[in-house]
Amino acid sequence: MEHEREIMDVAIEAGHILLENGAEIFRVEETVYRISRHYGINTGSIFTLSNGLFVTADSVGAEPFAKVIHVPVGSAHLDRVAAVNQLSREIEEGKFTVSEARAELERIRTMPGKTYRMQVIGAALGSAGFAYIYGGSPIDSLAAFIAGAILYIYILFVSRPHLSKMVGSITGGAVATVASMILYGLGLGEHLNYIVIGSVVSLIPGVAFTNAIRDITDENYLAGVVRMLDALLVFFCIAMGVGVVYAVVQRLIGGVVF
Amino acid sequence: MNLIAQVFAALSGTIGFSVMFSVPREYYPLCGFVGGAGWLIYCLVLPYAAVPEATLAATVLVVLLSRLFAVWRRCPVTIFLIPGIIPLVPGGDIYWMAYYIVMNQMEMAAEKGFEAVKIAVAIVLGIVFVFQVPQKVFRLAVDTAKRK
Repeated sequence: MEHEREIMDVAIEAGHILLENGAEIFRVEETVYRISRHYGINTGSIFTLSNGLFVTADSVGAEPFAKVIHVPVGSAHLDRVAAVNQLSREIEEGKFTVSEARAELERIRTMPGKTYRMQVIGAALGSAGFAYIYGGSPIDSLAAFIAGAILYIYILFVSRPHLSKMVGSITGGAVATVASMILYGLGLGEHLNYIVIGSVVSLIPGVAFTNAIRDITDENYLAGVVRMLDALLVFFCIAMGVGVVYAVVQRLIGGVVF
Repeated sequence: MNLIAQVFAALSGTIGFSVMFSVPREYYPLCGFVGGAGWLIYCLVLPYAAVPEATLAATVLVVLLSRLFAVWRRCPVTIFLIPGIIPLVPGGDIYWMAYYIVMNQMEMAAEKGFEAVKIAVAIVLGIVFVFQVPQKVFRLAVDTAKRK
């Protein structure tokens, strides 16, 4: 039965977009159930991991349906999560046919993200704000703004397209620390520590950390633990990148403690 | 005065993160509000309590506000929760841990590392418990506020 296949494909695509862009497991499964149920398939079943979907449906008189989807973890696009959420609500209100829903999902999947310039400004703003609340002065905050922007340019053009997450986080921590040290050396900023803390914040795995807690709360232990491991690993890698630069600089200059 | 500057910095930092996570533009002010309010509570509680306790109080407010706004604006709670919780994440302590390890001051490093774990546990507890509050409560709160 072609129709059943089409419905399940739409439901799975919705789940795929949610999982890829930083939604929690509960929302992914709930959305797939809701969409398939609304279009009349009550036998759907779904199992979700942090990087994959396993879906089956077995209606009477139709061929059994099964699909496994691999979802590599991307960067978070919460606007897409919000859009799929809205779509799923409107599907339940009967506003979309199956093919219309498919077209809408295609539009959401290719929704343009924020421009690079906006993202760099966002990262710089985040760095400046956090340098200040972690104890820095306004001047430190300004230095963190610049170092944070440099780090994010590195993330966008070098680490995200070319490097694995671990290497990207270690080198990212190092790049931010070097940038902060150069700015500090040039006389911008009063406390190197707070400049570095601020400049690395855009590497903090906030999405993985928060979602891990929520997944574990919902008793989706497997996905939650994987996400928590991911978050801890990234934290550890950032610290390592920062630490390595400090260690090297200390050796070169000889016992000068910042 | 310093408190206002602190809250303003947390607010703008949270908005910076919202941009990085591609939050829809119309939610920037609310995200900033959640982050700023969380940090305000943190600052207000801190003189009377330890850091993990202040973090717990702030997390509770952040999750409550996130859920309230999610019901009000009919969108996923994730949008407010993820940027809003970031100021509370123990990034500073993890930095100091790495710093003291390099400086070979292992006692200080252990202290900072343990502090980071305590703060993380506080965040976990805050999220876990406030998510147990039934959705109906938030629905009711929003409906009552709208009727007025």
